[in-house]
Amino acid sequence: MGGASRAEKRRKQEEADRRLAAAGIRVPQKRNRTPMIVVAVVIVVAVVVGGALLLARSLTATVEPTYTATSDGAIITAGTGPVVIDVYEDYICPACERFETRYGNEVTTALNEGKISVRFHTIAILDEQSNPAGYSTRAGNAALCSVPAGIFPRYHKKLFDEQPAEGGAGLSNEELIALGTELGAQGDFAACVQGNTHQDAVAKETETARKDTALQNEKGQFGTPTVAIGGKKVDLNNTSWLQNALG
Amino acid sequence: MNRARSLDVVGALARLGLAAVWLVSGLLKVVDPDQTYIAVRAYDVLPDAGVEVVAALLPWVELALGVLLLAGVGTRLVAALSAVLLLAFVAGVGQAWARGLSIDCGCFGGGGAVEPGETTYLQELLRDAGFLLMAGWLVVRPRTVLALDDRLGTRRMG
Repeated sequence: MGGASRAEKRRKQEEADRRLAAAGIRVPQKRNRTPMIVVAVVIVVAVVVGGALLLARSLTATVEPTYTATSDGAIITAGTGPVVIDVYEDYICPACERFETRYGNEVTTALNEGKISVRFHTIAILDEQSNPAGYSTRAGNAALCSVPAGIFPRYHKKLFDEQPAEGGAGLSNEELIALGTELGAQGDFAACVQGNTHQDAVAKETETARKDTALQNEKGQFGTPTVAIGGKKVDLNNTSWLQNALG
Repeated sequence: MNRARSLDVVGALARLGLAAVWLVSGLLKVVDPDQTYIAVRAYDVLPDAGVEVVAALLPWVELALGVLLLAGVGTRLVAALSAVLLLAFVAGVGQAWARGLSIDCGCFGGGGAVEPGETTYLQELLRDAGFLLMAGWLVVRPRTVLALDDRLGTRRMG
């Protein structure tokens, strides 16, 4: 049908509609609603798909950690399993928060079952991302303080659950202490946090990691989170990196 | 080719262009949900739960708008929805700029904090303004060539 004849047909139809309307007869306009219904259906389907994926992700219960941890310098060794995994994290780094949210349960399970041990390297490369600067170091220090306080596994998770936004002040020392007290921190946890006791160890570990070419990306940069097994950087885009490591 | 027909072709270009924008931006976000979460969070507007919801739904809504524009179904309605979403993006980028945050908009994947000197707010807003023009054209004049709206028997409000 050509454009002209189509226009002609529509004109006739509209004229007929007008005559019917004048005579008090309502013409059902059913067909005109089709596009709106299609639009509604497609958008609802999209929202349902996105919502279902979100629900599937958020319904998994948190695995409670039962492993123990020790620290040396700014490195915290968790668990005693044979496969040793090096994890480099900065506590204000949003991608680290995502890493913990995505893989936290899997890592905790493997640690609980004694399959792996994880060496958490406390890194502060994003000190400038808080205002005032220095949250990365303060939070990293608090994490190191939580080891002798006997609460490391849960405190580590807590720091990411409560991660402050970049650009803000971050959690104050008082807030960092309160989070630990909530979890039953023992000993002089508060003094350790206030005194920024492990500040130098964190700075030293950060420098060491920065200089380690094995941890750098293609651009020669070191970032967090970085995971290495046997001194080799792991590709975190491969979501089964941990299963692969377990063999 | 008469004038109305030419305008239909211009409309089709706007429709397909906007469809491409949504499909590409939606796809880049869908394949990397963690990055999308980081991008949404960086605007520092919503609480964490809100960030989760927006990051989960936004990519799929963008894809839906893209598919609908590509097919040309309910063009005026979809263009209006596109304009609303684009205005929300403009507001998001605008508030980030005004507050002095240094983030990447994450419009087409990526996103999150960047170095203070590396923000491109002006370019991002100008790009959105261009997309808004395309949406605006289709709201005012939704008739385009090669649209499914023709077959569904309406060129009126879709």
